[in-house]
Amino acid sequence: MMMRTSLRLIPFALVLSAAALAAEPEPPSSPPSSGVVIGLADSAGLRATVFGTPPQDTASLPAKVPLSEINAELPWRLPVPKILWFDAKLRVWFSAQDKPAPLAIVISGTGSDGNTKTISVLRAALYGAGYHVLTMPSPTFPGFIVSASSTGVAGDLMRDGKDLYAAMQEIIAHLPRKVRITDIDVVGYSLGGANAAIVKSIDATEHKLKIHRVVMINPPVSLFSSVGRLDRLFAATIGPGEQGVELLYRRLYAQIANLYRASDRLELDENFLLGAAAATLKTDADFSAAIALTFRLQLVDMFFIGDLYAKTGVITDPAHPPKVGDSLEDIQRDLRAKPFADYFTRVFAPYYLKRRPDATSPSLIASNRLDIITDALRDDGDYYAQTTRNDLILNKRELAWLQDTLGPRIIVYDQGGHLGEVGDRQQVADMLDMLSGSWPRSEQ
Amino acid sequence: MRMGLLVALLAGVLEGCASQVLSIRTAPDQTPAADNAAAAANAAAFAEAAAAESAAGPAEPHDVPPPVTPADAPPMYTYDPWERLNRFTYRFNARFDEAIFLPVADTYRRTPRPIRAGIHNFFDNLAEIDSVINYTLQWRLKYGWRSFARLAINSTIGIGGLLDVATKLKLPGEPTGFATTLAKWGMHPGPYLVIPLLGPSTLRDGVGFLADYGAEYGINVVGLYRGGVSWGLGTVNAIDQRANIDFRYYSGGSPFEYETIRFLYVRRRLIEDEGLHAKEPVKKAPVDVPAGK
Repeated sequence: MMMRTSLRLIPFALVLSAAALAAEPEPPSSPPSSGVVIGLADSAGLRATVFGTPPQDTASLPAKVPLSEINAELPWRLPVPKILWFDAKLRVWFSAQDKPAPLAIVISGTGSDGNTKTISVLRAALYGAGYHVLTMPSPTFPGFIVSASSTGVAGDLMRDGKDLYAAMQEIIAHLPRKVRITDIDVVGYSLGGANAAIVKSIDATEHKLKIHRVVMINPPVSLFSSVGRLDRLFAATIGPGEQGVELLYRRLYAQIANLYRASDRLELDENFLLGAAAATLKTDADFSAAIALTFRLQLVDMFFIGDLYAKTGVITDPAHPPKVGDSLEDIQRDLRAKPFADYFTRVFAPYYLKRRPDATSPSLIASNRLDIITDALRDDGDYYAQTTRNDLILNKRELAWLQDTLGPRIIVYDQGGHLGEVGDRQQVADMLDMLSGSWPRSEQ
Repeated sequence: MRMGLLVALLAGVLEGCASQVLSIRTAPDQTPAADNAAAAANAAAFAEAAAAESAAGPAEPHDVPPPVTPADAPPMYTYDPWERLNRFTYRFNARFDEAIFLPVADTYRRTPRPIRAGIHNFFDNLAEIDSVINYTLQWRLKYGWRSFARLAINSTIGIGGLLDVATKLKLPGEPTGFATTLAKWGMHPGPYLVIPLLGPSTLRDGVGFLADYGAEYGINVVGLYRGGVSWGLGTVNAIDQRANIDFRYYSGGSPFEYETIRFLYVRRRLIEDEGLHAKEPVKKAPVDVPAGK
């Protein structure tokens, strides 16, 4: 009984983090937090980003999708710090057709593993359309950094792309013989979209996988400007530092407790929390706080691990790294309060500047822009993209650059915010057309 | 016989190791179409409930207990004086789950759904006995009667508990236990406690669990709780429970999973306590005392 209640916490965690929801952040000195003032996205975009595609608008999906979990031990893995023992193997997920078929590889978004809700929808759609589907974590996911990164310091587009490319080869080479692959395409969403394009560009010179087509869904154009926007969103809606997080937690606790007290429920379960979330998430500021907090929590792990590997000493003392059994609570609290900019200036930049004598901070930022492969994106007809007009990780200039570079090979939806259009009938139909080379459609 | 079970379990674990680089394990099939239909139904139900609520207008003032304010929320720190031991146990649980518990549960998930449902209902029905006792101890007789009715209906018409007829008769199951009784009597959760194999808990909930087990052992209904049969039954019960929990240790890869789970578990129990004492004024949480103490 108890185990049942205690292990059912993960949905709780998801709701809590996706649900800064209940909060009504009102930093006294800040302007009214409408999306327009924050300058990131309109109301509809924020709402779609949090709630995703409504189930009634979801493309029709197959009744059953087989799934295998693959754990890979990669030969180039760096020594695993003892406290990260559970991340030693790369975990990916594979759905095999029982006949020869093209393979679609899907790459997850920032900090996420290869089995997220977004991935499940894409997997189902692709499997239903006849693809074998291999879903992989983001190179910024802790399990990837530890098991598959050659640096331990994630976030460099080209370096991460090479690690990802190597991991793909290793996994595909060791799939069961009965799996017959006729062609390889790659799909990535959010940061995974940029990763997908980079991987294809690497493959174009190395030819080890012969990747055919790539679809980027809501990709960033500049990594650091996108995360900078999310840092600002955090500061504007939650407030700087740990104090803001604590205030948010207190509001959330009180709201859930009051809803629970008023209900007849005897157990605080997932359905109740989902209902509570829907009941309390109302304003743009709520949505913004939810997005900012979710994103921040995803970066905390990457920051911690990067510091540990690079021995920069920002979070932990390289001479006395934390041991198995040590409490990490204070470290976690400190990290939650740190913006992503700190990761760049104190861990990422020092690490890479030491290894690339010609590099400077601005050149590192520039090398993490999608325009490092402008020529390929413009001239190779096998790169495609789907994004939205109100995606909060892109500014107008970046969106225009994508449209200019990809021409007819990008579609920009009016609605959806960041990833809120994934799984929608139109999005799925367009993605499948892009992957099969029937885009742009003849009538256009 | 127990040895034989262990060997079978280990064989199940080792099966499927294909090459040295990769190990491939079949996971339960995904059912996207059904999941989406369920999500649509859920969303519709929420919308309906919200519409009904706004149509009904605000509740009568005297029905509404004084609200919990943000200042009443417990601190973010959690009382965990046995942290070193707890972390050790957490790690053990994670490894046990990965190597044995989860693969066995995944295998079990491949048995036909009606069989699994029957097994699940059977154990739920047995647990109603403990619920009847504890609802009575909590002096929540309405719920006690409901549990009793469920037990009577499902044990007879439901063929010894294999079918959950009572839920279809609008008597849904809501189990309780001695941990909740202690909470109702005013006991705080106490120190955080990770129990071997069972997972996150608190001292109070752990005591409650032992008392529930003791009650079942003492009553020993139809002789199921003592002797050889109890081992087999306990194992199946554990596997059934594990198969119904959508949780994977370290699936998020986070170095801070112990902290996150501890935080969420204790907050959740504290909110449930608030619900148990909803008719009473909110107790002010002391400012500097970690949550749970």
